[in-house]
Amino acid sequence: MSNPDQSEGDRARDEVLAGEYVLGVLSAESRARVEARIRRDRPFAAIVARWEENLSPLNDEYEAIAPPDFILPMVERRVLATRRRALASRTSTFAGLWGSLAFWRTLALASIFLFAGTMFFTFVAPLPGAPDAGRSGQRQPAPLRPLAELAGQNNAVSLIARYSAGDGILRLTPVATAGDQPHSLELWVIDGNDKAVSLGILPQSGEGELAVPQALRPKLKDGVTLAVSLEPYGGSPSGAPTGPVLALGKAQMP
Amino acid sequence: MKSSDAELSHLVAQIALKDGDAFRAVYERTSPKLFGVCLRILKDREDAQDALQEVYVKIWRNAQRFAGSNVGPMPWLCAIARNHAIDVLRARRPASDSLEEGAQQFPDDAPDPESTAVIKGEGRRIDRCMQELDPQRAEAVKSAYVEGLSYQELAKRHAVPLNTMRTWLRRSLLSLRECMER
Repeated sequence: MSNPDQSEGDRARDEVLAGEYVLGVLSAESRARVEARIRRDRPFAAIVARWEENLSPLNDEYEAIAPPDFILPMVERRVLATRRRALASRTSTFAGLWGSLAFWRTLALASIFLFAGTMFFTFVAPLPGAPDAGRSGQRQPAPLRPLAELAGQNNAVSLIARYSAGDGILRLTPVATAGDQPHSLELWVIDGNDKAVSLGILPQSGEGELAVPQALRPKLKDGVTLAVSLEPYGGSPSGAPTGPVLALGKAQMP
Repeated sequence: MKSSDAELSHLVAQIALKDGDAFRAVYERTSPKLFGVCLRILKDREDAQDALQEVYVKIWRNAQRFAGSNVGPMPWLCAIARNHAIDVLRARRPASDSLEEGAQQFPDDAPDPESTAVIKGEGRRIDRCMQELDPQRAEAVKSAYVEGLSYQELAKRHAVPLNTMRTWLRRSLLSLRECMER
């Protein structure tokens, strides 16, 4: 059992409570308490999510009925304030590129191909140090450039990876962070049929920067697979991926 | 994952990036289903219209939670609609119960939730597992889910004491859990 501090009877009671919540039989007061627990208790939230998925075939009982036309404009008006801010960020200049919606949207669009079921790992710029038209003569600090886009297959989580061969820094930025429960994103490199080797833990949001240990740097080569999995806070307890794989892709070095 | 599911997942993920076009696309694809959910539970057209607005505002606000949830896009969206409609229903017709009341010890034969939450495709197994239940109890489970009935309402409808209905549903949930793990 995942939760040693919890008695076995409590586990069965949690199963029932989560099931009762998803069925919808609880009172308003009990529902509020269950919802508060979902927000702070990740294993319990997982039980609720599983009931939601398992009971979802019963949704077939609901007939689709077109709502009146006036609803959409009313809803859009209500979310307009946030939307306007988002539109403004789309026109942001280069400095704001990383934060701009248009940029992320372009990235997210790339993940459509992923949903077709293929692995995807595309260079969007040459590697630092690789021949670079017109600038190869200049000596300047190698900038971190986009290396790859990794997009999730089921979870619609996308990441962009940028790697500096010079100092061995690999940066990953999640496009959408995964929920609000405590968890860690862990990056793995998989070479052929070998077991996944952890490259480290990514910050939950914002820019993920990993110093690749010297010993692991040779592993970042053509044909290896990079994967990001969702792990308990602090990373996989076993040294191997335990959580769902949120994103993966194959590296193609030029 | 079906391609339509994949497209919808993608659109919901874009809502997390506050993309108004994606929001509209999700609304256009899913609002008839979610309006059906609200109508069935609330049984009142005006209440269902109000609820539908709140549901889409919640979808806009909570889309980020979808990314890591491991739940398919339609189940996720339907859960938001069901939860909201049930909350409205409970506020309208207060039902009292207590989490502790009637609490029992149950044998623990359920597997680790985190290891199984990621398993997809348990889906249609619910049909087979529902058939294994006593028909009256299966009916109670189904009407609880589909109409959002409280324990009291279910007890009244099936003409059994409240505690009997509690026991029925709790035992049914454990049986379903056990069946779906087989």
